Amino acid sequence: MEFRKKILENGLSIIGELNDSAKSAAVGFFVKTGSRDETKQINGVSHFLEHMLFKGTDKLSAIEVSKAFDRTGAQFNAFTSEEVTVFYAAVLPEYLEEITNLWIELMRPALRDEDFNIEKNVIKEEIAMYKDQPEFDAADKCRALHFDSHPCGNSVLGSVESIDNLSAEQMREYFNRRYAPDNMAVVCVGNFEWEKICNIVQDGCGGWQSKGAGRITEDFEGSKKKENTEKPNINREHICLMSYAVPAQDQRRFAAHLLAAIIGDSAGSRFFWELVDKALAETAAMQFGAMDGTGVLFTQVQCSSENKIKVMDVINRIFQELGEKGVSEDELQKAKNKILSALVIKNEVPMGRLADVGFNWMYLGEYRTTADDVEAIKSVTVQQVNSLAKQLSPGEYTQFSIGPAKTK
Amino acid sequence: MAEKLDKHILKNGMVLLGERMEAVESVSFDFMLPAGAAFLPEGICGAANVIADWIFRGASDKDNRQLGDALDGLGLHRSVAVGSSHLVIGASLEAGNLSEALNLYADIILRSGLEDEQFEPARQLAIDGVLSLDDNPRQKVMLKLREQFYPKPFGRSTAGSIEELKNLTAEKTRQITKDNFNLSQTIFSVAGKYDFENIVKQMEKLFETDSKQAIETIKPKPKAAEYTHIHHDGAQVHIGLMTGTVKVDDENYYNARIAISVLSGGMSARLFTEVREKRGLCYAVGARYHSLKEAAGVICYAGTTPQKAQQTLEVIIAEFNRLKEGISEEEIKQAKAGLKSALILQSESSSSRAGSIGGDYYMLGRVRSLDEIKSKIEETTVESVLKFLWSNPFEDFTVVTIGPQQVKVK
Repeated sequence: MEFRKKILENGLSIIGELNDSAKSAAVGFFVKTGSRDETKQINGVSHFLEHMLFKGTDKLSAIEVSKAFDRTGAQFNAFTSEEVTVFYAAVLPEYLEEITNLWIELMRPALRDEDFNIEKNVIKEEIAMYKDQPEFDAADKCRALHFDSHPCGNSVLGSVESIDNLSAEQMREYFNRRYAPDNMAVVCVGNFEWEKICNIVQDGCGGWQSKGAGRITEDFEGSKKKENTEKPNINREHICLMSYAVPAQDQRRFAAHLLAAIIGDSAGSRFFWELVDKALAETAAMQFGAMDGTGVLFTQVQCSSENKIKVMDVINRIFQELGEKGVSEDELQKAKNKILSALVIKNEVPMGRLADVGFNWMYLGEYRTTADDVEAIKSVTVQQVNSLAKQLSPGEYTQFSIGPAKTK
Repeated sequence: MAEKLDKHILKNGMVLLGERMEAVESVSFDFMLPAGAAFLPEGICGAANVIADWIFRGASDKDNRQLGDALDGLGLHRSVAVGSSHLVIGASLEAGNLSEALNLYADIILRSGLEDEQFEPARQLAIDGVLSLDDNPRQKVMLKLREQFYPKPFGRSTAGSIEELKNLTAEKTRQITKDNFNLSQTIFSVAGKYDFENIVKQMEKLFETDSKQAIETIKPKPKAAEYTHIHHDGAQVHIGLMTGTVKVDDENYYNARIAISVLSGGMSARLFTEVREKRGLCYAVGARYHSLKEAAGVICYAGTTPQKAQQTLEVIIAEFNRLKEGISEEEIKQAKAGLKSALILQSESSSSRAGSIGGDYYMLGRVRSLDEIKSKIEETTVESVLKFLWSNPFEDFTVVTIGPQQVKVK
């Protein structure tokens, strides 16, 4: 593995991790923009814009873009979160230059009114699709409740209303502010020639204007509010809990990751043994979400309505015991084993590695090898996890749940 | 880049397959146990899911908790999947822990505790799994579709039936486990970093028996109705449709795969372009090849709001019909590029390779090399694909919808 980097004069970062033994290469354009960078009036624009990038440029129509991707046999896609919009592709090495050139072109889209209006329907279908999946609906609403007035509570998809009201002009204005070279990174991993990719990016993006697009990153403790809703057409209780955790930039993120695995990994955790193994809930999992300047511990549980009270009692007891007794050496070691093997396996494939290299650059402005992360996880001590558990108090959570309507 | 296949067959007929990957530090393995949903007796639909959970609740000298801790201690990532033909249990892990992991899996397969007190939670979780499908209409529609499309019992729901799960007893399930964990029909596959000689030695100790059990065959029964609607007051109508095509062992298999890619391979493929890009009817629309050993089909999903459901179905069926009228050189070229690149990208993951070589062996009785697949894809032409479609047109659709409104089929 060899690490390379170059920062262009306009602020665009080019990051590379070369691995000659890989059979493929992956490239990603990481844009530091997401729903937290939106106002209420334009909520959903980041995600809608991600769709619009595939609609072409002044030179390329939407169908020409699709064909250009398919010619290379690329496995490609894009996603938008609260914090980032990522466009990525994995290809055989001989196609990497072609696909990188294509992405560069698409990063300067036409944003035509006609395409905007058709795509609005697709976005509204996507919103409808998630409405039919209550676990997503509950997660979205829990995040909004937890972050209250903080912009990290903004929905990624937006609402039917905010999408209906959005204009193509508002999208263009947002694009001009956010898709600036000093707010982006081009990341490449796997089997490729660094100089060639660097030159392509330099030639294609060197003329873009930097905009100084920033972001307010206030930390936020969370509202700790609790809400329940009922829906007539569903069968299970979908319970989401969210509480404060450390930011992506905090050294304690490794301990937070381990803490979440000890409490709520999908197998072998405290939630697993107390809830899933005993069939009180069919799923009960906690994850650590490291964000820009803040973070969350996020729990999702699915169970029957009859078990809901019992399940919440068990969860509260687990949090209480964690506060009183902490975690054991044995639990920590098992969590380390699982996280380390997952990390190594994921990073064996260029597509998996792309995410870690890209996010480390976006959040930390730093390149970290897989070995660096392995070492950081290995060195976490029980004392560190226990002291973090005390500081975070995961028992003080925001709760949102959706369950079936009670028949009277 | 020709990869070498390792193969050994134990005296009892259990097949061991391996593909060594030089670039990885991990290893993945799968045990394909002949206890899939279709291969269990009538009247106990869902039992495979109970078994898949129950066998992990203690084995040999370890109780439930000790076994879970031992697996976690190796840092392995478990996978459990119930399919039509097999219950597949496997794991991915760091290569150094493989030998210990195999010892534990031998305990789970051959010496699982299957205690009465652990049966109830295993069954309850299987029942909960079926109930939770109501909150995931997209998944539910695809399960129902396979059930309606494939001859009985091959499409039998892999989730199960609540009624039948409620009638299941520990005693019955124990007997089914004993009957169906037939080593003569079990395939073990491993990919990644390993030493095959050591694996063979260890597997001989763990799994070799003299007796070869008889192999059962199942007689298929004709399939069910053409259109099924399940009412659900949700936001979308979830449409699933399926039409028959050739199986993996057919000489036209690669022509079929190319045809399906032209329909729904990439972003420029016809379904995405016509349904989503030009008309904005759906967010999710796509078709793919789906095969069992006994039958195969093209399976298609689309989710859309009720007022667009009829048009969506009609546009999709029109695209299926239009395929045989003509395909361009460019479309074939793109379909080939997509299939070949997917093949190579997947070959970098040890878990994906372990699954592929085991699946190939079951379907074909041998493992295809990547080069063989690549050259077969290359051999297809506009003419060969069209000729295939003329003699095997995509028609006669089984349709299932879940949502607030029905559609008209034909």
